[in-house]
Order: sequence, then C-alpha cells, then structure tokens
Amino acid sequence: MNLFENIRIALEALWGNRLRSFLALLGIVIGVFAVTALVSLGEMATAGITQNLESVTSRTVYVEPNYHSGFDVKRLDDDDVRALSRLPVDILPEVMLNGEYEKKPGDRSSITLIGTPGNAPATDHTIKLASGRYFTVSEANAGAATAILNDRAVTEIFGTHDPLGKRIKLVYTGGIRCEVIVIGTTEPLPMSFGASPAEVMLPTPFLWRTHPDAHLGKYEFFVLRLHGDADIKAVQASAERLLATRHSKDSLQFFNAESLKSALGNITIILQILLGAIASLSLLVGGIGIMNIMLVSVTERTREIGLRKALGATSEQIRAQFLIEAVVLTLLGGVFGVLLAAGVLWLVSVTVPFMHVFRLNPTTVILALSVSAFVGLFFGVWPAARAAKLDPIESLRYE
Amino acid sequence: MPSLVEIRGVTKVYRTGSAQRTVEVHALRGVDVDIAAGEFVAIMGPSGSGKSTLMHIVGLLDTPSDGSYRLAETEVAGLTEKQLALVRNRRIGFVFQAFFLLPRETALRNVELPLVYRGLSPADRRQRATAALEAVGLADRMTHLPNELSGGQKQRVAIARALVQEPDILLADEPTGNLDTRASDEVLALFDALHVDGKTIILVTHEPDVGARARRIIHMRDGSVE
Ligand SMILES: Nc1ncnc2c1ncn2[C@@H]1O[C@H](COP(=O)(O)OP(=O)(O)OP(=O)(O)O)[C@@H](O)[C@H]1O
Ligand SMILES: [Mg+2]
Repeated sequence: MNLFENIRIALEALWGNRLRSFLALLGIVIGVFAVTALVSLGEMATAGITQNLESVTSRTVYVEPNYHSGFDVKRLDDDDVRALSRLPVDILPEVMLNGEYEKKPGDRSSITLIGTPGNAPATDHTIKLASGRYFTVSEANAGAATAILNDRAVTEIFGTHDPLGKRIKLVYTGGIRCEVIVIGTTEPLPMSFGASPAEVMLPTPFLWRTHPDAHLGKYEFFVLRLHGDADIKAVQASAERLLATRHSKDSLQFFNAESLKSALGNITIILQILLGAIASLSLLVGGIGIMNIMLVSVTERTREIGLRKALGATSEQIRAQFLIEAVVLTLLGGVFGVLLAAGVLWLVSVTVPFMHVFRLNPTTVILALSVSAFVGLFFGVWPAARAAKLDPIESLRYE
Repeated sequence: MPSLVEIRGVTKVYRTGSAQRTVEVHALRGVDVDIAAGEFVAIMGPSGSGKSTLMHIVGLLDTPSDGSYRLAETEVAGLTEKQLALVRNRRIGFVFQAFFLLPRETALRNVELPLVYRGLSPADRRQRATAALEAVGLADRMTHLPNELSGGQKQRVAIARALVQEPDILLADEPTGNLDTRASDEVLALFDALHVDGKTIILVTHEPDVGARARRIIHMRDGSVE
C-alpha cells in the first residue's frame, strides 16, 4: 500500500463526490487565493511603483532648505550652484511660490508657480512636454512672460479647450496682476493619478521680477540629475559636504528615491502581515469545513471501511487513507487557490497600469501549498482516527 | 490430522440497551466445531440462531466472548490487531450476502483490493485479478462497475475477490440469498469446482438444496450446535 495508491484512492473518492468535495475545499481555495493574490498584489504594486519612481527619480537628488530649522531660512543661490558644479550632475535650481489665477473678474483659484531655467526638460527628465514648447534659455534669462501648464492646470483653467497661445491672468499677494501666455503643456507625472496640484512653470527671472514674495537670486530647491552611472549615495554625500561650508548644519534637506523605496517596503511588509493574518483565519475556517466533510465521509463510508478491514487493511492503513484524502483535498484547494490567484494577478498586470509587473511570489506559493497540506493533515487527524478505530463487523453491518 | 478450524466452548454475548437496563443477547452459547482442511461444510439453522456470528468469529472479524479458537493451530486470542489484519488478508476469503463491492471501482479493481493491502505491484495485482475473474467466467466484465452487473455477476466478482487471496478458508454467508435460482446455480457450481480443487469452504445458508451441496452440514439452533 504505497502513497501513490492512497492518492489514487483519495482522488477517486473525491471525484465520486465532486460537488461536495468542491464545496468543501472552497474555504481553502479562498484562503489560499487571498494570501497568494494579496501578498503578490502588494508586491506588484510596490514593484510597479518603485519602477515608476525609478524611471522618474532614481537618478535624482533633491536639495531644499529645512523650513523647520528656524525663522531665518537661508535659501539656495547661484553660489550654491557653482559650489556643486564639479559634481557629475545637471543642476536645476527652482523657485516655488503660491499665486492665483483669474478665470473671470472676481473668480480666482490658487495655483502653484514654479520658476525654472530655460529648456528645463533637457535637465529634468520628469518634465515631458505634451504640446507646444518649453521657453528657451534666452527667453528665461530675459524673464519672458511665457508659461508652461501641467495637465492639472490645463483641465482646471481651460477644460477641454486648447490652451496654446491663450493668456492667463495671474494675481499675486497684494493684488498685483500680470499676464502670461501659454506656450506649452506637460504630460502628467507617472504615479500622480491626477493628484498633483495645478502648476504653472515660468522663467525664474520672471517670478523674481513680478512676484512680491520672491527672493531675488534665491531658489527654493535644487534638482540634481545624475550623469551616467555616478553613484547616488556618493553624489549626495559630496553635495552635502560641499554645501555644508555655506549653510549651517541641518539647515538643508537631501532626498533621493532610495529613501522613498525603503519607506514603501515597510508599508508593504505591514500590509503583508495583516493580509497573512486574515488569510490564516480563512484557512482555519476552511480547515474546520474540511474536518466536517471528512467526518461525514467517514460515516458514509463505514461499510467501505468495514470491507477494507475484512479484506486485510490494518487500522494504520485506513488512517493513512483518510489522512491522505484530507491532505489531497486541501492541497487541491491550495492548487486551485494559487491558480485562481495567478489568473487574477495576470489580469491585474495587463489592466492596471502601475502594476504591470506580473509577480507570483514563489515563496508565497510554496508557503500557501504547505499550509494547505498542513491544514489537511491537522484537520484530517480526527476523522482518520475515527475511521481507523471502526470495528470491522459493526461497520459491515452499518446501514 | 489436526483441524484447520478448532473451536472450543466459544460464546458470544452482545450487551445492548441503556446503562440502567442492559439486555444480554447470547448469540453463541458454547460452541464446539472442528473443520478439516479441504472440507466443504454448510452451516444451517433458523434465523437468529447464531450462524453469522459464528462465521464472523471464524473469519476473525469478531472475537468470542469466551472459549478458544485455534486457526491452523494458532490461538487467535493472542494475536494483535495488525496480525489479525494480516491473517484476514492471507488466509481468509469472505463472500457476503450483500456482495459488498466498492461501487465506484471496476470489477477488476474490486478484485485487486485484497492484494493492494498485500503490497503487490500493480502489474502483479492486475494479472492475478484478471485470472480470478476469468476463473469465475467474467473475463468480459472486467471494466464494468458493480451497478452495471447482475446480482449473480456481482456475487461472482465477490467470489473472485476472495479467490485472488488464495485463502486457506473461503467463508460465504448466504452467498445465494439475494440471487434467483439460475444465478444461485452458477455461484454454487463455482463452489463445487473450488471444493474439487481442494479448497476449504464454509457456507451459511437457509436453503436445504444449497446445504445439500456440502459434504457436511452443521445445524445450529439458538446459539448452539445440534
Ligand atoms: N451487534 C449485535 N448486537 C446485539 N445483538 C446481536 C448483534 N449481532 C447479532 N445479534 C444477535 O445475535 C443473534 C444471532 O445473530 P446472527 O446474525 O448470528 O443470526 P443468524 O443465524 O445469522 O440469522 P440469519 O439467518 O437471520 O442471518 C440474534 O439474536 C441477533 O439478534
Ligand atoms: Mg446471518
């Protein structure tokens, strides 16, 4: 009586009652599906997000003054730009201010104003033009009243109309007004899900000249785009060192995508633990269902058990038969659950843009299958013991 | 020549009912029976006289309340559960009134069943089961399921299942009880042939003409041998 024989008997018995077997293992299917799908989904989301983040930011270091460090925030300036000039980076010094635009007289909405150098897309690859053009370096240096709108600003201000060549009335603090002409629009940022605020990009000198809150010759932050294969940690460390002589300790903040990634990783782990707990619960419930169905099966097959014993089966062999049947049942549930999860994950990967990386974590699959086998073993013990200790002649007489 | 089956003063008492009012049923009241190897014995007697009970004890499916049973000169009371299973598998073939075939398995698989517990290879099992089915005249019904067979054919499958074990004793408890005359004759002809082959056969029956086929009849009444 080998294992293969037992598995065959188990499959035949389960097939003989296929509807009931199927219903009995639904709990396990759902449990395994839940763990596998959710854990892998979490991973796919992380993978997708990090990949997008990477495409946008991984080769980028952000530098900005720490606004919480005190009242006297020392902003960045052109000397800082020069101080960093020996690093293998392109430097994009930017200004960021608040403002409003006027749709109709008396109807104003707030908008973020960003001052950039000319031809910024060449340096900052996260800026991708959707239409029109970016203002040139000479336009920027001249402080031309030219504006680039991000996707959100376009829909807020112009709806579905073509914004190119149109004018916008900007209103600053204190009621100062000026007009700019829209010459280009940008693509939405990946991962922004339309959540980024409405932004207008303008030449930095234009903001310095017109905006009352602007600090002439000062910048709110630097975007450092790394050259080639320069090491991001080394570059950030050099930048910190180079700027340390010009700014007091802790008055500057540095960011790169690596830190974002590890933060995301932490969230994923917490999520996975939570999902694991929920899934364990559903597996427990599924296991009790299996025990119930196995007890019913033992009772129903009392005569079969009696016959097998009459023909020479030992109690151990009967126990093994029912134990293996329970394990086969739950393992089948596990396999169905994993297949279902794989199907759903694949569907998600082809339909949800930021989860395009199909991931079916092999560790999760192995773990899910082992757990389902264990559930069968654990919840099969009692029914199998009942079958094993049945008296042959009483079982044969059972009606 | 020592007896194959040697039963001395065997009793069987069933206790039924609630804890306060137990009812004792004396199914066997001190039975002595000797059966030699190669004998064809019929056990007859009225319903409830203890024929099946005796049969189950002989077949090691049940244990006596008291008395001694020696099978092939071995005292059965001293055997463990595992040893009992082994003896059932190696030495005893059973044929029941209600056939007891596994409904989802083919005739061939049903006949293979005792060999499964003997640990034979699938090929070996198949070959022996095929031979046994041929011996009972069912070569053309191997792959049929029990519900695709007539009563007589089912009983012949059950006999093949017992034969495949090559047992020392073939026990048949009213094997023709569920069959019509023609099917009964087919089955009884098989027993006759087996007896001629030298098999030991113990057959329980109500029907005098079935009992007449045996070389010896043990009459039972009210738990005792007459
Ligand atoms: N498990 C049991 N519990 C209680 N009493 C039992 C049990 N099995 C058998 N008996 C009783 O023991 C007696 C003998 O039963 P047995 O089955 O041996 O009779 P039998 O001679 O085979 O009858 P039949 O010809 O009807 O098959 C009967 O009175 C029966 O009621
Ligand atoms: Mg009887």
